[in-house]
Amino acid sequence: MKTGETAVELIDVRKTYRVGEPVHALDGVSLEVPRGSYTAIMGPSGSGKSTLMNLVGCLDTPTEGEVVVGGREVGSLGDRERTRLRGTEVGFVFQTFNLMPRLNAVENVALPQLFQGVGRAERRERARKLLERVGLADREEHLPNELSGGQRQRVALARALVNDPAIVLADEPSGNLDTDTEAEILDLFDEFHEGGTTMLVVTHERHVAERADRIVHLLDGKIERIEELDGGSTTDESGTEAST
Amino acid sequence: MRPLEFLRLSWRSIRGHKLRSSLTTLGVIIGVAAVIAFVTLGASLQAGIIGDISPDDQRNLYGWAAEPDAEGGPLAGAQPVFSQHDLEELSDREDVEAAYGYATIQTQAISNGDEQVPQGDGLIAAGPSYIREDDLREGRQFEMNESEAVINPAAAEQFEENVTVGDELTLTILGGQQTTVTVVGITDTSEGLSPFEGFETAPRVYVPTDPFYAEQAAGLGFGGDGGDQARYLAIVVEAESADDRAVERARESATSYLQSEQSDASDLLGDDLEVRLQTSTELLQQLQDVLDLLQNFIVGIAAISLLVGSIGIANIMLVSVTERTREIGIMKAVGAQNRDVLGLFLSEAVILGTVGAIFGTAVGLLAGYLGAWYIDLPLVYPYEYVALAIVVGVVVGILSGLYPAWRAARTDPIDALRYE
Ligand SMILES: Nc1ncnc2c1ncn2[C@@H]1O[C@H](COP(=O)(O)OP(=O)(O)O)[C@@H](O)[C@H]1O
Ligand SMILES: [Mg+2]
Repeated sequence: MKTGETAVELIDVRKTYRVGEPVHALDGVSLEVPRGSYTAIMGPSGSGKSTLMNLVGCLDTPTEGEVVVGGREVGSLGDRERTRLRGTEVGFVFQTFNLMPRLNAVENVALPQLFQGVGRAERRERARKLLERVGLADREEHLPNELSGGQRQRVALARALVNDPAIVLADEPSGNLDTDTEAEILDLFDEFHEGGTTMLVVTHERHVAERADRIVHLLDGKIERIEELDGGSTTDESGTEAST
Repeated sequence: MRPLEFLRLSWRSIRGHKLRSSLTTLGVIIGVAAVIAFVTLGASLQAGIIGDISPDDQRNLYGWAAEPDAEGGPLAGAQPVFSQHDLEELSDREDVEAAYGYATIQTQAISNGDEQVPQGDGLIAAGPSYIREDDLREGRQFEMNESEAVINPAAAEQFEENVTVGDELTLTILGGQQTTVTVVGITDTSEGLSPFEGFETAPRVYVPTDPFYAEQAAGLGFGGDGGDQARYLAIVVEAESADDRAVERARESATSYLQSEQSDASDLLGDDLEVRLQTSTELLQQLQDVLDLLQNFIVGIAAISLLVGSIGIANIMLVSVTERTREIGIMKAVGAQNRDVLGLFLSEAVILGTVGAIFGTAVGLLAGYLGAWYIDLPLVYPYEYVALAIVVGVVVGILSGLYPAWRAARTDPIDALRYE
């Protein structure tokens, strides 16, 4: 297990795109994601969900403010270090699965370790274990196009977990799945969450978001409110925002 | 990430597009095959010709007199200027081991007992040492002033009953005159023994210049004083050894005598003719030059083919980078460094180039060997060119893959993941 209390922390983060008129995709967002927590992000289209995911996923750097992932401030890192941090501390699950089409299930799961220089035998061993945990022990050698949507997403989840990351980022993970398969995947999320994995899920569907401990509502690049689901209480976060 | 992993992954994607990849490598295959085929053929040709020059031949200087600007092979523009007296004088000189005339005598036929075969040329008159000891399979050299002959296997085998040492042959000289010779030796090769003869396989009978050439040339002019006045078109001057300096000394010594007032040849040389004395190697150099020119030409074509091949690889790699934008995004999202992506695409290009070079080498060797086999040359394996071809394949791969791979490496993962 990773040490420390906080998996990811955003401190007064702004992301401004300058294509003609400046667009404030994120406008002063502060958010702490504790280790082992399960957070959902909701908001209408254009509210800044993807931008937030890109920052947390170390794919991008903020215009202002700090993004801390696994104890390191992303904005201060060079490209190489940031890539390394992404590879080791972040696991991605995408709506469209994003598996490598010519690699089989084991190889897809092992891919992140390949880039960390882990040996082939060790990689395969770890990948096999994870595939077993997501219930695909009998599909190891299958190519993505030989798997169903739900199975592909399981492979993607196993891949996200292979480097034992600080946080798993899922962007509409059940957007391309039917209701039954969606439930299976979300059950798996719950299972790993209970095992200690930190989850951050972007969704526009209420019933998906409700699997989380809390829901962060985004609107126009700002946190509108944070809805705690354990006790069912809702905290208005606008007070802690650096208001404009 | 380790090189082997790059290769494994790259090989995957190449196999994913078998037809496209094969077509892409075609340019490299053709270029490399052309070079290898020609180099193999050239090397075999060279071995077939140069290989025939025995170390003993290296001491021989082949001489004739011609106008200074006469061009062509041995004996081009040669005029009969050398007398028997000149040859004797040459033989007596220091630095010269022996000197004798060389002439081909026109014939009609050769008979072995009752059996007669037509033969137009192939009766060669020379000195005894023209037949070198190690060229003899059986018997001995002929002797001067004797009706003796040494024949080559092709001449021996052209009769139903093979000619052997001790047999007598009847030669019908052009003009109808007949002479009988005793076969005293058989050579071990049917190819020519010197550049004067050419190197092709043919039936040949070697006889001493005296009496054969001397008699025939007698009475043709220059005083009409019997055999002594026969003039030779071609001479062979033997140096004391095959050592370069010895050969050079012999050449200088012979040239200075032949061009001096003392020689009979000088009377006929006048201002127009010049004596040339050259070794087999020097004479073959001309052939070699033509071969080199042809080889350069083919290499030029191959270079163009390789260039086209490289552009083909670069083009396909660019297409491939665009096509796999999303895959690049995935790899970067899961932690691939820029250099990993660069390495992956580069090794793909290198594999294409190298595989092209390997196939090209195989095709080229096959073509070269078939060619060499067809024209009956010894097969020579141009190992260093095979190695070079592989290196060229790798270099072509790197050069053509560099830009596409760099494009792939700097792809922004966010854009790439959005790419449809
Ligand atoms: N690369 C970009 N260039 C310019 N504007 C962008 C870019 N990415 C996002 N935006 C803008 O930022 C805002 C937030 O976008 P995004 O984070 O994708 O929202 P969401 O994912 O919630 O739909 C939108 O107005 C969008 O147009
Ligand atoms: Mg979005």
